[in-house]
Amino acid sequence: MNYALNGRLGTGRLAKRTTRAGLQALSLATFALGWELLARRLDSLLLPGFVETIAALVRLLTTSLLWEAVWLSNQAMVLGFSLAAVFGILLGLLMGRWRPAARYLDPYLNILLATPKAALIPIVIMATGLGLLSRVLITFSYALVVITINVRAGLSLIDPGWIEMSRSFGATESQLWRKVFIRGAFPAILTGLRLGLARAVSGMITVELLLVALGLGRLILDFQGRFDSGRLYATVLVVVAEAVALLQLFRWLERRVAPWAGNGVDR
Amino acid sequence: MGRQRGGPVIELRNCSKRYPSQLGQAAVDALEGVDLTIRPEEFVCLLGPSGCGKTTLLKAIAGLVSLDEGEVYIDGDLVTGPGPDRAMVFQDFALLPWADVVTNVAFGLELRGVPKATREKKAFELVQAVGLAGFDHHFPRQLSGGMQQRVGLARALAVDPQILLMDEPFGALDALTRRLLQEDLLTLLDRRRKTVVFVTHSMDEAVRLGDRVVLMTPRPGQVRDIVEVGLPRPRPPDLEKHPRFAELLEYLWQQLREMRP
Ligand SMILES: Nc1ncnc2c1ncn2[C@@H]1O[C@H](COP(=O)(O)OP(=O)(O)OP(=O)(O)O)[C@@H](O)[C@H]1O
Ligand SMILES: [Mg+2]
Repeated sequence: MNYALNGRLGTGRLAKRTTRAGLQALSLATFALGWELLARRLDSLLLPGFVETIAALVRLLTTSLLWEAVWLSNQAMVLGFSLAAVFGILLGLLMGRWRPAARYLDPYLNILLATPKAALIPIVIMATGLGLLSRVLITFSYALVVITINVRAGLSLIDPGWIEMSRSFGATESQLWRKVFIRGAFPAILTGLRLGLARAVSGMITVELLLVALGLGRLILDFQGRFDSGRLYATVLVVVAEAVALLQLFRWLERRVAPWAGNGVDR
Repeated sequence: MGRQRGGPVIELRNCSKRYPSQLGQAAVDALEGVDLTIRPEEFVCLLGPSGCGKTTLLKAIAGLVSLDEGEVYIDGDLVTGPGPDRAMVFQDFALLPWADVVTNVAFGLELRGVPKATREKKAFELVQAVGLAGFDHHFPRQLSGGMQQRVGLARALAVDPQILLMDEPFGALDALTRRLLQEDLLTLLDRRRKTVVFVTHSMDEAVRLGDRVVLMTPRPGQVRDIVEVGLPRPRPPDLEKHPRFAELLEYLWQQLREMRP
């Protein structure tokens, strides 16, 4: 019944995808144009034009200044995020499958969820100093909660019928975890990781701007201090670009490993 | 495989099951003193009002439910859990949404550690056998209910069980699909000769499929009556015209009506 159907939907989706890409390009172009026009109109030192920013960006990209900052900032971010991924997934799995653990940990999760995390930064720095450790801990705390919550939510979508079916075919406890719980929660785990990554990037920049002048945050502060608005905007663009690129990568991964979760017909 | 003619005997002895009370709800006596012997290669239908413990009984045979009293024996061996001699087909299909048809059909074999190539070959054969050729790599949500249950059936047959436990497998399907699946099930079993325990709400279905129909009382479930169907096998296409068919339906209906609370 459905080969013809799939074919039709397939071309339909392609057309949809090109339209979407076109609209996104249009949106970005309008933004750049608006920016450029506004900057020319204001003609202020404080607002560089789009073209000027891109030129500054190109120059920055060829210096080691930027790359060292990127490297320094991302060290803490990658470490903090990786830790948050490990702990978040474990906590989420534990809370999702074992009610006492959920009850026990819920208050802490809610506190972490409700607290503006920037408020934690001074505390963490008081406790651990200005080194790598404090930045790792901060990005960790930014990313942890959202990962935990998503993993747990993913497990709640596991149908008890799948568990019973697996048992009836003789599944062991470890097979159940691997082939049902984790497999079934996989899209939610990836979503949690994607959102956690966004939080980690924002944690990384916040701490560098707020307290530990270092890496990209330091660059931003420096350029701001020197009224070097071209490079300031260029650095911010780098941060935005990194965040967007990482998120897109995860989006793509999600679609790759979890085709059933999408609304496509045949992939 | 390599099994002697006859297959296993299933014996339920004085089986009782009480679900303990939960949060303000009273405890439920689902089964009380059920005695039943199912003969080798027999097709038994369990028929009874909703909530009378049919599913519980089937799960007790599957080893998924622990009984409070009594035991289930298969060929004299006490059932303490699920085993490779039994496979179950579920009312809501219980397919894994992230796995395509072949992977779903192979899932029982996968859990039993059968290597990928072997199990997918076997699964592929069964996909053909249940009439889903060409749908190997579709996902469950791309299939109709009837097709999904064909996958459920193929998954159970793939592990080559001696005993097939079916819990209202066609209950969620429309009348036409249901009839087609009933016919196809009988054809499939013709070549495989298994012991089948089949739970149903439908008198018509019980008589069409079964060698015997076990009538259960409302909760707590007990065996009220066992009816020998005695219709010819293979079942003729115009079974309705058989005088015995109408007679059986009438009898079952009388019995069920008397049980009405
Ligand atoms: N896990 C459970 N916990 C508590 N009570 C249960 C549980 N499973 C079943 N029951 C209760 O036990 C009784 C028998 O349930 P069972 O599912 O075996 O009936 P059934 O004959 O299969 O019903 P149906 O025809 O509606 O499928 C019902 O009253 C049901 O509410
Ligand atoms: Mg039931």
